[in-house]
Amino acid sequence: MPATALAGLALLVIGESHLSQSNYLINPLHDSLSAQGAKVHAVGACGASAGDWLKTIAVPCSGDRSSGAAVIKGRDSMTTPITQLIATDKPDLVVIIIGDTMASYDKPAFPRAWAWQGVTSLVKEVGSTKTPCVWVGPPWGQPGGKYQKNDQRVEMMSGFLASNVAPCAYVDSLKMAKPGQWTTLDGQHFSLAGYKSWSEAITKALADLPAVQALKKS
Amino acid sequence: MRPQRRLGMALALASAGWAAQAAEIPLYETGPSQDAAFVRFVNAGSDALELSAAGSKARSRLDLGAPATAFFSVNAGAKVKGAFHAGSQRSDIALSVKPGEFATVVALPGAGAVTQTVLREQPDDFNALKSSLALYNLDPRCASAGLSVVGRSVALFEAVPSGTLQRRALNPVSISVQLRCGGKPTATPLALGNLQAGQRYSVFVMPAAAAPRLFMAADSVAR
Repeated sequence: MPATALAGLALLVIGESHLSQSNYLINPLHDSLSAQGAKVHAVGACGASAGDWLKTIAVPCSGDRSSGAAVIKGRDSMTTPITQLIATDKPDLVVIIIGDTMASYDKPAFPRAWAWQGVTSLVKEVGSTKTPCVWVGPPWGQPGGKYQKNDQRVEMMSGFLASNVAPCAYVDSLKMAKPGQWTTLDGQHFSLAGYKSWSEAITKALADLPAVQALKKS
Repeated sequence: MRPQRRLGMALALASAGWAAQAAEIPLYETGPSQDAAFVRFVNAGSDALELSAAGSKARSRLDLGAPATAFFSVNAGAKVKGAFHAGSQRSDIALSVKPGEFATVVALPGAGAVTQTVLREQPDDFNALKSSLALYNLDPRCASAGLSVVGRSVALFEAVPSGTLQRRALNPVSISVQLRCGGKPTATPLALGNLQAGQRYSVFVMPAAAAPRLFMAADSVAR
C-alpha cells in the first residue's frame, strides 16, 4: 500500500463524547490513522464545546489514547487547554472533531453567537501556536433519541462550522454518508460499525486534504 | 489584572446565573439553553470618561486613544449595571441584553450631563473568510450617513439614520473610507488599515463641533 500524506505525521486529535468511550470513535479512528503511519494522540471530553478546550473544566467522562490502550475516565475527568496539549505533543497537525456539543439539538434556537465565540477562540488559540489544523464537522445521526439530534440542525451546525473554522481546513462529515445511514445507539452516538465507517472516511478525507498533503513527510 | 478584565468579571458576576446553569449540565451537553449575549461601552466625547461595574471598585478609562471597550460576555436577560463617570458627573447604566445580541452603550458627554444611547445588533453573518464592518451613526446632525471607499465609486453604506447601525461583509482588504452625510462628503477620510478575514469592526460617527468625528473599533470579545 503506498504511503499516504499521513505517514510520519504527529496528530493531536481532540473531540467530544465521540472520543470518550472505548466503543466509540476513539479506538477505530486511532487504529485507522495509525495504520496510515501517523503517530496519534486522541483526547476526548464528553460534552466539551470548542471554548472548553481553552481552559480546564470538569466533564462527565473522557478518553485519552496515545501509544497504548485508551484510558477512559468517568466523573473525575477534566479538559486540558489546547495550548498545553500542543506544547506537550508538538503535533504536525491538530484535528478537531467538535459539532454535536454545540448544536443545541434539543433547543428551539441555534446559539450562533455563542458558537461563533467558542469556535473562533479555539481556532485562534491553535493558530497562535502556528500548528496547522483541520476541523471535522458533525455527521448525520438518526432523528430523535435523548439528544434530539435532527437533520436540519446538524446541517445548520455543519454549515456554520464550514464558514467559521478558517484558517483550519474543514472536513464535512455530512458528505461521508446519507442521513441515517450509520446506525446509532441513541440518535447521536454510533454503533461500532458506524464509528468504523466514520473513522475510515475521516482518515481518507484527511489524507486527501491539500493542507495535509503539504505536510507530507518525504 | 487589567482594568478591562476586572470590569468584564464584574459585569459577568453582576448578571449572575452561571452557577445555576452549571448544575443543570446533562451527561453529554449539546449546547446552551440560550445564546450568548455581549455588551460594550463607548465614549462618544473627546474628554475622557471612566466606566465602572456595579459592585466593583475597578474603573476603566475610555478616552480618545481607546474610546471603546471590547465586548464583554454577559448573561442574556440579566440586568447589567454600572456607571459612566465624567468628573463629578455620574450616569448610571442599566440594561439587559437578549440572547444572541451584541449591545453597544454609547456615552455622550454634554453640558451638565452624560446621556446614553444603546444600539443593538443580532448578527447572523459570522464568516471567517470575510471581514465584517458596521457603521454606527451617533450624530443627530448627520441624519442620513453613508460610507464610501476612497478612490473608488463604491458605497459601503447608504442612508443610515442617526441612532442606528448597519453591518455588512466585505473582502479583507486595505481601504480608507469617506463619510457622507445626506450624500455629501463630510469629515476627513478614515483609514481602516488592513481588514482581517474573520474580524469584525465598527466605524462610529460621533458628534463634534465642526464636523462629525469618525473612529474605528475592532469588535473583539474580552476573554
